[in-house]
Amino acid sequence: MISMPTVARRGLLPILLLSAFMPLAILMLVSVGRDWFFPALLPGTIDLTGWRTVLGSGARLRPALIASGVLAVATGVAAMVFGAFAGSAIASARGWRRVVGAGAAFLPVAAPPVAVATGLHATLLGAGLGSSIVGVFIAHLVPACGYTTLYFLGVFTVREGGFEDAARTLGAGVLDVIRRVTIPMMRRELLEAVLLGAIVSWGQVALTLVAGGGRVRTLPLEVMDYLMAGQDQLAATGSLLLAIPPLIAFGVLRLALRNVEMVLP
Amino acid sequence: MTRRWSGLAAFLVAAPVLVGVAYSLFASVGLRGGSGGFSAEPWTAAFADHRLVIGLAWSLWVAAIATAIASLAAILVATLFRSGTRSSGVARFLAVVPLPLPHVAAGVLGVLVLGQSGLLARGAFLAGWIDQPAAMPALIYDRWGIGLILVLAWKEFPFIALIAFSLLAGRGKSLEEAARTLGAHRWAIFRTVTWPVLWRGLAPAVVAVFAFVTGTYEATVLLAPSDPLALPLMTIERYTDIGVASRAEAHVLVLMGLLAGLGAVVLHEAVRAWDRPSA
Amino acid sequence: MIMGCNRGAPEPASNAVTALPWDSVLVLARGSTVTWRMWRGDPSINAFIDQWVAPRLVAQYGITLEVVPGQGPGIVNLLVTEREAGARGSTDLLWINGATFASLRREALLLGPWADRLPNAQYVDTASPIIARDFEQDPGGYESPWGQVEYALIYDNARVSSPPRNVTALGAWIDAHPGRFTHDQSFSGMTFLKILMYALAGGAERFQGGFDSLAYVAGRDSVMGWLTRHRASFWRGGATYPAGVAELHRLFANGEIDFSMSNNENEVITKVRQGILPVTARPLLLTDGMLANAHYLGISVNARNPAGAMVVADFLLSPEAQLEKLRPEVWADGSVLDVSRIPEPWRGRFMAQARDQHALSPESLRLHARPEVAPEYHERLTEDWRRMIRANAPR
Repeated sequence: MISMPTVARRGLLPILLLSAFMPLAILMLVSVGRDWFFPALLPGTIDLTGWRTVLGSGARLRPALIASGVLAVATGVAAMVFGAFAGSAIASARGWRRVVGAGAAFLPVAAPPVAVATGLHATLLGAGLGSSIVGVFIAHLVPACGYTTLYFLGVFTVREGGFEDAARTLGAGVLDVIRRVTIPMMRRELLEAVLLGAIVSWGQVALTLVAGGGRVRTLPLEVMDYLMAGQDQLAATGSLLLAIPPLIAFGVLRLALRNVEMVLP
Repeated sequence: MTRRWSGLAAFLVAAPVLVGVAYSLFASVGLRGGSGGFSAEPWTAAFADHRLVIGLAWSLWVAAIATAIASLAAILVATLFRSGTRSSGVARFLAVVPLPLPHVAAGVLGVLVLGQSGLLARGAFLAGWIDQPAAMPALIYDRWGIGLILVLAWKEFPFIALIAFSLLAGRGKSLEEAARTLGAHRWAIFRTVTWPVLWRGLAPAVVAVFAFVTGTYEATVLLAPSDPLALPLMTIERYTDIGVASRAEAHVLVLMGLLAGLGAVVLHEAVRAWDRPSA
Repeated sequence: MIMGCNRGAPEPASNAVTALPWDSVLVLARGSTVTWRMWRGDPSINAFIDQWVAPRLVAQYGITLEVVPGQGPGIVNLLVTEREAGARGSTDLLWINGATFASLRREALLLGPWADRLPNAQYVDTASPIIARDFEQDPGGYESPWGQVEYALIYDNARVSSPPRNVTALGAWIDAHPGRFTHDQSFSGMTFLKILMYALAGGAERFQGGFDSLAYVAGRDSVMGWLTRHRASFWRGGATYPAGVAELHRLFANGEIDFSMSNNENEVITKVRQGILPVTARPLLLTDGMLANAHYLGISVNARNPAGAMVVADFLLSPEAQLEKLRPEVWADGSVLDVSRIPEPWRGRFMAQARDQHALSPESLRLHARPEVAPEYHERLTEDWRRMIRANAPR
C-alpha cells in the first residue's frame, strides 16, 4: 500500500516541474516569436532580433546585464556582512530593545520602494552620488540589508553561541572567533544571505529608476521599458537573461556546498 | 558580544527608510517636490476620496490571499520533500527555480498565459470549448484580481519555500529526530515539532511577503482591473501625473501604503511577544 | 503669454552661452558630451538615434551623445529633486511637449531663450499652427520643434471592411458590435477623449484661447454622456480599461477588440514592420478632426553643456536629419520644416520621399488635423474621467 504523502509527492512533482520550466519555455518562444496572434499556439514566424540585441553588434542589453550583475554581487556581499552583524546584534538584545530592533529590520522590507526612493535620491544628490551606479548600489542596499538582517535575526535567534564562547574562554580574540569559528560553521547561512541580497538587487525596478536618475541602466529597467512600449519579444529576451544567471548561481552554490548540509536545492 | 550594538544596528537598517518617510511627509504637505508651499489639502483630498479606502482594501485582499496560498504551498512542499533522497532534492530545486524571475516577467507571463487571448484561451479554442476570446472567463483585469493573485502566489512561493527548506534542515531536523527517538507518531511530530518550528521561522518571511505584495507595482499594473484601482497603481498614477500638485497626494498614498505594511509588522511582533513573552 | 511665476531661481551662468555667436557655440561644443533624456521604448527610434544621429554628431561636430531614458513627469520630478538637493545637472537635452513644457516652465526649469538662434530654425514651418504653438503655449525660444504627429485610430481591414468615419458612426458601430472597442487609461486614451470633446461640443475653436471652465464643463458633459451611452457595449462592458497603449495594441492584435489607437499616425506602419500588429492593420482618421501636435527639444536649466545641446538640437532640425526621420523604414515621424524654405537638393528629396503604401496622404492628414488646446483641458478631462467613468464600473 502506498502512503498518502507518497501519493502527494507523486502528484506535486509534475506541478513543480511545470511551475519551474513552463514559464521559461514560454519566454523562450516569445523571445524568438513574431506574428504570434490568437488563436495560434506557436509563433507564426521565428526571428532572432531579440537575441541580436543581446549578443549581436551594438548589443543594447549587454551593458545593462553587466550593470545588473555588478550591482547584484556587490549588494549581496555587502548586505550579507551588514546583515550578519546587525542580525546578531538584534538577536542578542532582549525585551523592548529586541522588538524595536526587529521592527527596524522590517521597515526597509515593508516600505514601498517609492517611499524610500525619492527621499533617498534627494539625499544622495546632496552627497554628490545622485544618478550614479554608487548611488544605486546604496539604494539597493536598503531593502537588501533589511532582508539579510531579518534572515540573520532568525538564524541567530535559534543558534546557540556555545562554540564561540568556548573559543573565547580559550583566549581567542573577537576577530579570531569570527574567522576561525563563526564563518566556517555558518558557511551555508552566509552564502544564502549573499544570494538573498543579490536577488533583491537583481530584480529592483523602482529604486534603480529613481536613485539612478535613469542614467544607470539595469536589466529589469530595460525589460520594463520594452514592456511599456509593447515590445514583448525584447521584454521576453530580457526576462530570460534575468532568469538564467541566478540559476547558474544556484548550481555553483550547490557545488560549493557539497560538503555542507544540503538545504539549498 | 554584540548586544550593545543592537541600537546602532537597528538605526542603520532603518535610517534610509526614515529619511524617505520624512521626505514623503514634507512632500505630502507641499514643502518638498515643487513649488507651492505648505498645504494640508493633499491629505484632506485623499481622505475625502472613497477610492483610497477601496483601493487599499483591494490591495490588502490580494496580498492576503496571495500570501496565504504561497505560504501553504511552501509548507506543503517543504514538509513533503525534506528528505535527503534524490527526488526530494530535485523537487526542492524545481520549487525555487522561479525565484530570480523578476516581477515584471511574472506579470507578462500572467498576461500571456491567463489573458482572454492567452495560451489557456488558445488551448480552449483549439479544443473547441470557446469560439472567441470574449468567451474565455476573464482571469486578468478582473474584479477579484484572480489572475494577479495566482501570479503573485506563484512568484512568492519560492521565497517562502526556500526559507522553509532551511528551517526544516536546520533546527527542525534535530528536534524531529529527538521526538522520534522518544517514540512520537508522524502526525504528532508534525503537530508538536515541525509545525511550530515552521510557523515561528516563517512568520517574518510571510509578513515581509505580505507587506511587499501590498505595495508591488510591476505585476499589478499588468494584471489588475481599473476599478477598484489598487493602491500602488493609484500611487504611481498620482506620482506621474502631469500636474506637479498631484505629487503631494502621491506622497500621502505612499505613507498609507507604508502604514499598511507596518500594520502587518506590528501584528507579527505582538503575536511573537505573546507567543514567547521571554524573548 | 504669461508662463506662470518664475520664483526667483538664480539665473545660471550657462544662460550666457545662449547669447554667444553660433561659431563660438560650435567651438564650445566640440569635444563635449551631450546627455539627452528621451523616451526609449521604441526600437526604431532608438536605432535612428544610436546608429544614425550619434555617429554623425561625432563626425560633424565632435560631440559624443549619451542617451538616457526618461519622459514627461519623470523629467519634471528629476529636475525638481536635483534643484532641491543643489546637485549638478544630469541632463542637457530634453524631449518634451505640452504639459511637460508647461510644468517645466512653471517651475523655471528650462534654459532659454535659445531655439530661435539655431541656424536651421530658418527652415521651420512657422506658419503651421501645430508647430508654432505647443498646446497653445508660445515656445518662446525655450524649446525647438523636431517632429510632429497626428492621432489616428487603427483597425484591421481583414476584420472591419468599412470602418466608421466619424464619431457618430463610431458610436453606432460600437453598439452594433458589443465588446469590440475600448480605449486605454494613459495619455493616448485621454487624447481620444479630447477628440470626442471637439467632435461633440463644437470643434477645436470652442476650446481655444486658453482654458475656459464653462467651455470645459459643456465639453466634458458631452464626452461623459457619449461614453455613458455606449460604455455597456465597450470591451468588458466598460468595467475595466487597459493601462496603456501597449496593452491596447495587444488586445487588438489578438482579436479581443477591433480598434487600437495611437498618437502617431505612422505607428501602425512601424508596429506592423516589427511584427507587433497584424499586416492587415491600417490607420484611420475621423472626419470630425484628429488631434495633431508637435514635439520639441528643451535644455534643462542646470545643463552642464548647453552649447552642445544647442548644436544637437540644430543638427536634428537640419533637412538631412528631418528627412531621415521621415522615412517609413526609419521612424516615419513628421517633418517640422517648410519644404518651400529649404534649399536644394533637400527640397527635391523631400518631394520625392517615398511613403509606405498604407500611410495616410499628407493632404488627408492636413485636412483632419486639429491643434491641441491648453494643457488644463487634458488634465481636467483625465481627472473627471477617472472619477465619473472609471471609478463607477458597472457591476
